[in-house]
Amino acid sequence: MNESFDVAIVGAGPAGISAACILADAGIKTIVFERGEYPGSKNMSGGVLYGHNLRQILPNFDQLGCPVERNIIESRIWYLSKEGGYTIGYRDNIFTQERKYNVFTVGRAKFDRWFAEQARKKGALVVPGTVVVDFLRDKNGKVAGVVTNRADGEVPASVVLLADGVNSPLAAKTGFRAELKPEHVALAVKEVIELPAEVIEQRFSVSPSDGVTTEVLGEITGGMDGVAIIYTNKNSISISVGANLADFIRTKIKPYELIEAYKQHPLVAPLIAGGKPIEYTAHWLAEGGYYTIPQVYGDGYLIAGDSAMLFNALHREGSNLAMASGKMAAETIIEALKRGDTSRKSLSIYAEKLSDSFVMKDMKKYRNFPAFLYNTHQLFNELPQVAQFAAREMLTVNGISKKQKQKEIVAEIRKKIGLFKLARIIWRGWRSVK
Amino acid sequence: MPKNSKGRDIAEIIPDKCIGCQLCLGECPVNAITMEGGVAKIDPEKCIGCGKCVDVCPASSILFEKPRKKKTVAAEQKAPSISEYKGVAVFIEVNNGVAADVSWELMGKGRELADKLNVPVIGFLLGYKVASIAKEAIYHGCDVVYTMDDPLFQVYISKMYGNALTQLCNQVKPEIFLIGATPLGRDLSSIIATKLKTGLTADCTGLDINPEDRLLMMTRPTFGGNIMATILCRNHRPQMSTVRPKVMKMPKRDPGRQGEIRAVKYEGPAEVVPRIIETIPFDTDGAVDITRSPVLVVLGKGACDTKYFPMLEEFANLLGGTIACSRPLVEAGLLPYLRQVGQTGKTVAPKLYIGIGVSGAVQHQVGMQGSERVIAINTDPHAPLVQIADYAIIGDYLKIVPELIKGLKERAPALLKEGVQQ
Amino acid sequence: MHIVCCIKQVPDTTQVKIDPVTNTLVRAGVESICNPYDIVGVEAAVKLTERYGGRVTVITMGPPQAESALRDCLAIGAHKAILLSDRAFAGADTLATSYTLASAIKKLSTEDPVEIVICGKQAIDGDTAQTGPGIATRLDFNQLTYVSEIINLDLDKKVIRVRREIEGASQIIEANLPVLLTVELQLGAPRYASLPNLIKALRQDIPVWGVKEIGADPDMVGLKGSPTSVKSIFAPPPRKGGPVFDTSDSLENAITTFLDTLFQKDASILAEVLNPDSKG
Repeated sequence: MNESFDVAIVGAGPAGISAACILADAGIKTIVFERGEYPGSKNMSGGVLYGHNLRQILPNFDQLGCPVERNIIESRIWYLSKEGGYTIGYRDNIFTQERKYNVFTVGRAKFDRWFAEQARKKGALVVPGTVVVDFLRDKNGKVAGVVTNRADGEVPASVVLLADGVNSPLAAKTGFRAELKPEHVALAVKEVIELPAEVIEQRFSVSPSDGVTTEVLGEITGGMDGVAIIYTNKNSISISVGANLADFIRTKIKPYELIEAYKQHPLVAPLIAGGKPIEYTAHWLAEGGYYTIPQVYGDGYLIAGDSAMLFNALHREGSNLAMASGKMAAETIIEALKRGDTSRKSLSIYAEKLSDSFVMKDMKKYRNFPAFLYNTHQLFNELPQVAQFAAREMLTVNGISKKQKQKEIVAEIRKKIGLFKLARIIWRGWRSVK
Repeated sequence: MPKNSKGRDIAEIIPDKCIGCQLCLGECPVNAITMEGGVAKIDPEKCIGCGKCVDVCPASSILFEKPRKKKTVAAEQKAPSISEYKGVAVFIEVNNGVAADVSWELMGKGRELADKLNVPVIGFLLGYKVASIAKEAIYHGCDVVYTMDDPLFQVYISKMYGNALTQLCNQVKPEIFLIGATPLGRDLSSIIATKLKTGLTADCTGLDINPEDRLLMMTRPTFGGNIMATILCRNHRPQMSTVRPKVMKMPKRDPGRQGEIRAVKYEGPAEVVPRIIETIPFDTDGAVDITRSPVLVVLGKGACDTKYFPMLEEFANLLGGTIACSRPLVEAGLLPYLRQVGQTGKTVAPKLYIGIGVSGAVQHQVGMQGSERVIAINTDPHAPLVQIADYAIIGDYLKIVPELIKGLKERAPALLKEGVQQ
Repeated sequence: MHIVCCIKQVPDTTQVKIDPVTNTLVRAGVESICNPYDIVGVEAAVKLTERYGGRVTVITMGPPQAESALRDCLAIGAHKAILLSDRAFAGADTLATSYTLASAIKKLSTEDPVEIVICGKQAIDGDTAQTGPGIATRLDFNQLTYVSEIINLDLDKKVIRVRREIEGASQIIEANLPVLLTVELQLGAPRYASLPNLIKALRQDIPVWGVKEIGADPDMVGLKGSPTSVKSIFAPPPRKGGPVFDTSDSLENAITTFLDTLFQKDASILAEVLNPDSKG
């Protein structure tokens, strides 16, 4: 048996490392296991991080050499049809001044590695290239450590924090997270496209340290319930498109075909023209929502981050929920260790903390949103088509009276979706995010 | 040794020992010595370090070491100036009594370089009963062959070959020395370069002379062949380079060509270590040399199901080709190392390279980028090999290859018979 | 018995992506690993000490980040690791590198005589297989390259017997210690480190030696000690991709079109290939 630790953390991603930093700062003996060759090697996200939540862990992260790509000063939302699209964006100087680093882009391989290094510097032991395959349990069945896939790989610990991502085999093993159904996850593919910084700055009208994020909905997900993004990095642009896994299974659309089509869309292509793809990755997104969140605490363990399905698809928030939940888990653990009680009851404070925070409040608020999207495929097919028709009609100056145009648009809505149905969609959509 | 401000080694009086006889004052040719307080004193700035005062001092009170001529051990010899090095030398590798092809390939290249420099091509030949090989060297373009023909050299022994060739380089002073990058050559070349304290550039794909400074420009791939670097060895001689087999063209053999053969006696110690206990030639696959086949059907991770190897062999045979593979198949034990193409395998340059299920990672590309035509068969249109292939067929090889066999037989009736005999 | 293994940290070229525009390596997030040939050598060294007793010291000449490659070796059982790092070592070609490594080995020998040095046969980032023999020559060790199997080590007689891979054959060959081996992958893949060894390796102190510590002549290390220098670098003319034939719609059509194109565009090559007697 190996030496024991106070806390064993499974996963060196944002949730796990946030917890490790808080714990190490409090002098708690912490070990983090990461199955990738190095922290970040198995992680993928669009690449957006939230300064507020990172500051909760590392108040002066911008002075510690945090590898920031671009500080986001403008957020855009696009609703695309096959040939065109609606765009709206909001830019504000405040994001270059007192709200700098409100949102910023990172490269996960670089960032996760840097973040894990901060935890190591604080005294946490980060062990890469090692997979946790099971829990150690005491004679009462309480979780008492982890078992790794290396020889002599058992490590006793007073508490185990599961932070091993969306397809965590261990969450399933605890028996408290039901096996994820395909409709609870999205499959996303991402390409990083290299472009000179000046070109990016010109195309997005930003200065050398600033950038723009774009969330995209519409027909670009091949009729599937999905979303796409365009994020700016220093010398590259991250583009990604993803859709509900159940939809992929149903439509048999190939992921790389989806992203190829996306790249060629008339609104997307000019932004990445002349760039060369330098990276191609795929990942799952924990989009199931509030109803898929498992029991996040048990005898001797807690669950944080994507592993606990803490992901807000509507606002593209995941890393902040991961960091916040990691921090709350750490705080719970510190209190529990002080009491000398790591039982379920003692650790249940974690759930209270989550409920009192924006984490559960937001998850709860949008609890019906994933189902709304999944059940309203018109959003990805007929509605963009109708929207395209409407815009074309209205914007084309061809001598037809506006009233006539209006009539034609209404007729098109009637034909494609139905007026009543459209109203229902809007109503249900509003209800799902209220 | 004390030095003056000019860095010159000078003499110095030890005051305690000096008896004040003043004999040294008279001897000094530059009047650097004066008397102070009853003892002699040498002005360091005037002293020229001739040592004459030391010779006359009866009291051994002068500190000085005359610079002695150092022993001529090859490594410590004062390096002759670069201009003394002339000629392009080529190492002639002998295996089982036969010269390796690469030696002649380099002889041809050496001839080209020597002609640009207007210097002779020199062969270095070690072996036993190798007189006929020396002649072959001349037929392939060599002007002078230095031969150490001795039973000592019958078997390759690193240290002895290293000593012998170091000796030859020191005697002959070639400005350029080329060695084939065979396993033997790669074992040997660094020994010589280290002993001669000169620069060695391995696996060169290009060699040329810069007419302005007569330097050898050695071009080699780095980082898997994505960057070519041109290397120079400016101030050290000989400029050493190894070149892989089949990179340079085999020159024409001219049996009427004249040249000189000079026998040289090996001056180093006979080395008997390491001792070869046994040599085991590779078995049935010993006959396979993928570097010689004009057509290669190269199997990658996407085509590693051994059940279908017979079908792929039929395809290869049809084109008169040989089966080769990328590294993963060798590591999985499916095919022997002999058939591996790539940076850590063999470099091939066939007329037709057909990659099946080969992703074409950089270190594989290094080993085959000299192929004349590349055909890639793969399910992944993004695979690197597909990106550089002259033709790419996307789909399942299990369906494609039989279809290709059918199509080829239709168009080339000769193939309906047993395929092309190689 | 004291065995020294020389390793090099290299980019994991299986993961390397190329920027076709600048023709340089894109190494964002690409892991650097211990050269596969070198760690095979460390595994062999550890196995020898497990069998015959002794210690394994791993050394590398590199920048500070090379430390992680050393830790990988400690994790599989090497006893000690030393990082040779100094600004003066930068820009070294193989002559200067073998000088630096040999100097460190000589220094290690003063406290604990080194009898065996093991290096990988070559480094996968395009190296030359020159460093091993260079070190052997400087230390005046017997040299055995392309070792694929260590058959026997006789510590009384101080003789090692190995199998070597040469052109077209294997050789069983024996040499007296002290000896330097360069090794092939066949020697045996490194073990998957046990957790206690991995944790120990992560915590172990790795001393850093510079020019002074190894007693090297500053004129013989790094750029100063390198006879070769890079005159220029350029991108080789890239092989451009040609037509792509997709069989997902109709296999027959795709193959027919492909063969039509092939026979039309490259008739001469086909002729050479299909009629070997009429070699051009």
